[in-house]
Amino acid sequence: MSDKPLVVENLTFKYRTRPELAIEGINLELKQGELLLIAGSSGCGKTTLARCINGLIPRSYRGERSGKVLFHDREVAEIPIPEMAQVVGTLLQDPERQIVASNVYNEIAFGPENLGLPHAEIFSRVDQVLKRLNLEYLRDRETFNLSGGEKQKVALAGVLTMNPSVLLLDEPLASLDPASAHEALQVFRSLADEGKTVILVEHRVEDAIEARPDRLLYMEDGRIKYLGPIRDLPPEIDHRQVKLPAPWVVQRVKALGEPLEESPRRKVEERGEPLVVFEDVDFRYDDEFPLILQNVNLNIYPGDLIAVLGPNGAGKSTLVKHSIGLLKPTKGRVLIGGEDSRKMSVAQIAHTLGYVFQSPTHMLYAPSVKEELEFGPKNLGYDSALIPKFVRESLSAVNMTGFEEYPPLGLSFGQQKRTTIAAVLAMRSKILIMDEPTAGQDFANYTHFMEALCKTSDGAHSVLSANFAATLFITHDVDLAVTYANRVLLFGDKHIIADGTPEEVLKDESLLLKYRVRPTSLLRLNLELLPKTGGFLPAESLAYYAS
Amino acid sequence: MNDKSTWAFGTRQVVYGAIGAALYGVFSWATNIFPLPAAGNVTFRPAVAVLIFFGAAYGPWVGLLAGFIGNTLGDALSGWGFYWNWSLGNGLMGMVAGLAMAAIKDFRAQADIIKAVGWGLAGIVVGMLFASLTEMITGGIDLNTALIGYFTPAVIGNAVVTIILVPILMIAFAAVAAGRGR
Amino acid sequence: MLVTWKYRRRNTIIQRLDPRTRLVFFVFVILALTIPDIWDLRIILPLFAVSLTLFLLSRIEWKDIRRILPYMFILVFFIVGLNGLLSGRGGPSSVTNLPSPVVFEVPIKIPFTDIGWDIPITVSKMWFAITQITRMFTMAMLVIPIPYTMDPNIYGTAFKRMGASDKVSFTMDLAFRFLPTFARDFTITMDAQRARGYELEKLKGGLVGRLQRLAPLIIPVVMQSTVTGEEVIDAMDLRAFGTKPRTWLRDNLKYAGRDYVLLGLGVAIFILCCVLKWGFGIGGYFVPEFFLNLFV
Ligand SMILES: Nc1ncnc2c1ncn2[C@@H]1O[C@H](COP(=O)(O)OP(=O)(O)OP(=O)(O)O)[C@@H](O)[C@H]1O
Ligand SMILES: Nc1ncnc2c1ncn2[C@@H]1O[C@H](COP(=O)(O)OP(=O)(O)OP(=O)(O)O)[C@@H](O)[C@H]1O
Ligand SMILES: [Mg+2]
Ligand SMILES: [Mg+2]
Repeated sequence: MSDKPLVVENLTFKYRTRPELAIEGINLELKQGELLLIAGSSGCGKTTLARCINGLIPRSYRGERSGKVLFHDREVAEIPIPEMAQVVGTLLQDPERQIVASNVYNEIAFGPENLGLPHAEIFSRVDQVLKRLNLEYLRDRETFNLSGGEKQKVALAGVLTMNPSVLLLDEPLASLDPASAHEALQVFRSLADEGKTVILVEHRVEDAIEARPDRLLYMEDGRIKYLGPIRDLPPEIDHRQVKLPAPWVVQRVKALGEPLEESPRRKVEERGEPLVVFEDVDFRYDDEFPLILQNVNLNIYPGDLIAVLGPNGAGKSTLVKHSIGLLKPTKGRVLIGGEDSRKMSVAQIAHTLGYVFQSPTHMLYAPSVKEELEFGPKNLGYDSALIPKFVRESLSAVNMTGFEEYPPLGLSFGQQKRTTIAAVLAMRSKILIMDEPTAGQDFANYTHFMEALCKTSDGAHSVLSANFAATLFITHDVDLAVTYANRVLLFGDKHIIADGTPEEVLKDESLLLKYRVRPTSLLRLNLELLPKTGGFLPAESLAYYAS
Repeated sequence: MNDKSTWAFGTRQVVYGAIGAALYGVFSWATNIFPLPAAGNVTFRPAVAVLIFFGAAYGPWVGLLAGFIGNTLGDALSGWGFYWNWSLGNGLMGMVAGLAMAAIKDFRAQADIIKAVGWGLAGIVVGMLFASLTEMITGGIDLNTALIGYFTPAVIGNAVVTIILVPILMIAFAAVAAGRGR
Repeated sequence: MLVTWKYRRRNTIIQRLDPRTRLVFFVFVILALTIPDIWDLRIILPLFAVSLTLFLLSRIEWKDIRRILPYMFILVFFIVGLNGLLSGRGGPSSVTNLPSPVVFEVPIKIPFTDIGWDIPITVSKMWFAITQITRMFTMAMLVIPIPYTMDPNIYGTAFKRMGASDKVSFTMDLAFRFLPTFARDFTITMDAQRARGYELEKLKGGLVGRLQRLAPLIIPVVMQSTVTGEEVIDAMDLRAFGTKPRTWLRDNLKYAGRDYVLLGLGVAIFILCCVLKWGFGIGGYFVPEFFLNLFV
């Protein structure tokens, strides 16, 4: 037996249902205790590579595989499954979909139970892992009620009870608020320090850097484009593909030697009559439940581009659902266009206010994209002669022209997300509200549509200026607030903690930390340069000001 | 896990059996809450279409588990308790519908949709006949009551739902499956 | 909309019973009433008393069952009513066709037609209805408390210990795991479609149209669940599910004295009913003198 925990040799795979290769000619060798970061845009083959490593390919997925995956010189396909589970532990992107028990203790014990271990052994393993991850306080909870971050940690615990020597983490940070993501990364680092080989798949390179990966593997179209230390990432892999720390981006932009120019200032608009008004709103889901909102006051004005930040489970979605009448206040009132939301149906409010839900899979149903987009306008009773025009314009706004006849359920996740945004755009509402519009999307994709929807600087043509009086989005990504908002709300402890321009709200680091929002490198750099810039800017534009 | 053989029973059947059961339970329970179209003393239970679809897509074991456990969960959620004969009847309904699986190649093809609906209808007749007849022993009703009071309305309601909704579900599923294909 | 299990930990004898005991006892009572076909209220009443005692011992609060009682009564009236309407040949209720004094008649008319007839309500039918209700409640009262008093986490283990395979038992556990998730998905989908102007309350069109318009509610939830399934399968395979006989953590189920008592009672009831019916010919349906005399 050699001491190489993992060797991948000339690995190529093609799914049975697809004509093209999903990954091609992958070569890779990992050492014990090494932490490898795998990055690349959506669909580049990261998950496919992960499946080859944990043996799901060729066991569960059919297709043509060539090359080798060796653990200590043993081919993955020849290791029996029960043993395999103790060689590689895999943590998937969505914890919701890998938790199999309704109770935390059972979930963590699931693997050892399957191995048929004796009770005492299982108890001791579970207790050990609970302690290791500081999860003892969760042991008797129902998995259903856990927050996203807690779910992800419980799922990790379930993997660790199998004592694997290699850990494979496929985008484990997607559903976490910044503070939870940070904690998770610290855990990964310490596991590597203990001698486990850790493979972390994550396209948000900037965040993953906190785990101090030894090497970065960057993939494009199924091939390795780069494998080596992150610092030496060659300039052809640019900052529009991978999210890098802001100071690096500045360096790279400068190194490219393109002409830099001063950025246009954001235009400041006069505030007109408020579109939506929250007056002393209290809310609880049920008589027996605690208050989620308490004494909330909020006005949304024309021209507002609002980012809402705050911890997992604070009540951000609850707040926003009041503005479309899905929830009605327990006390106080919400006025939409001057009218009490209690007196209006959701369908009536939908005329003025469009709401994009977090997950596209919760609303897509139609056999074609076109019919999907017609659904809203038809329900709202628009003239059927106008609908085709609405559909056409919304599709082009999200760059989906040409997909009219495709079934939305057959599209990729990113395309589905854009379809749902288009479906709401087609309703021609005055106000656009989006719940975590960028979750689970790759960087290049989401920058693209956020630019299209939110760009407000003079001259930039935006869908927003054409259609919407105001936009509000909920996000865990502080950089979105820095780059695209002109007003930031920090929500926590049942009410709005801070409300103001991004520059005002985001400068108070201790306040942010208190509500589990972690300042990013982009925010730090912006604050540093604020005297020169006079307002927050995206990383590329900062190059002009940085000395 | 891959094999499409009708009677395989592995992780796949366990997972889809459970998922089918949870969906069937939730939808059955939801129909207690929302007003639904009804005609005469026939009420519609759109959840049945979900059960037939799961049978057709994942086979007889999944149909059986989804129908049996799902009906049990639905009854329990509504506070009803456990009516073993109706749960078993629902299980049979899903199981017979599951016999369609081997025959289905393309979820979008009309011929395959007709097969799925056909087996579904057969399942409905078998399952509801079982439940109605056993109700004679547990509920003390007579044959006429079982056939006219229980069996006929249940079959009509379930058949209408199946004929209308199962094709819609299959076409949607064809799109989903095309994107993943195992 | 929140799916909440009605289960709560209560310090009651019923909850200290082994879950298997309760299921097995329930099966014995059903068998005792159905196999020898017991329709004699003199035998049913004592059994009813046993069920009622167990029901009361489980100490479910009134507010818990308040909501389902109306349904129970509708069901009972439906069954009893149908019997009156449709009684024919076969089945136990054929006894209601025996010649018996008519107490009063209920006129029935099909709406919008002149077709109608009078249904005679006989003494025999009335007594049968009383028996039938008692008999149904005897069985139902054993079941109604189960969701309130049995920990959902124990069902899988209980199945396993009653002889089901690892896989079938775990299906039960997994179904419990997904139920609240799908209920939530369903609510979110409802909300998402309402935000697009969809109004369930205003479903228009004929029967077919109205059912078709349920598609925006049903399809997203079902399709998402099929995708979820693929990932759950991966997650379970990766943790070696189904490769070896499983250990079941909560399998410290053990029959205690009280369990044997109840199980013994179950067996005794079953045997007694069989012996009475087949050995002594007691237990069939009859209308007692005093009841007849009330009306004649
Ligand atoms: N089960 C499958 N069947 C067929 N094709 C698949 C399957 N899974 C992935 N693919 C295809 O293989 C290619 C690589 O996909 P993969 O999931 O590995 O990408 P990824 O880098 O993980 O993307 P993401 O960041 O979106 O998770 C894509 O074109 C994808 O559509
Ligand atoms: N339908 C519901 N019934 C009861 N409680 C609910 C319901 N929906 C949400 N809650 C609870 O209300 C609180 C706020 O939830 P909400 O979804 O508004 O949080 P959030 O700030 O949007 O969180 P996240 O960032 O995770 O999306 C949470 O504790 C949640 O458990
Ligand atoms: Mg992936
Ligand atoms: Mg939210």
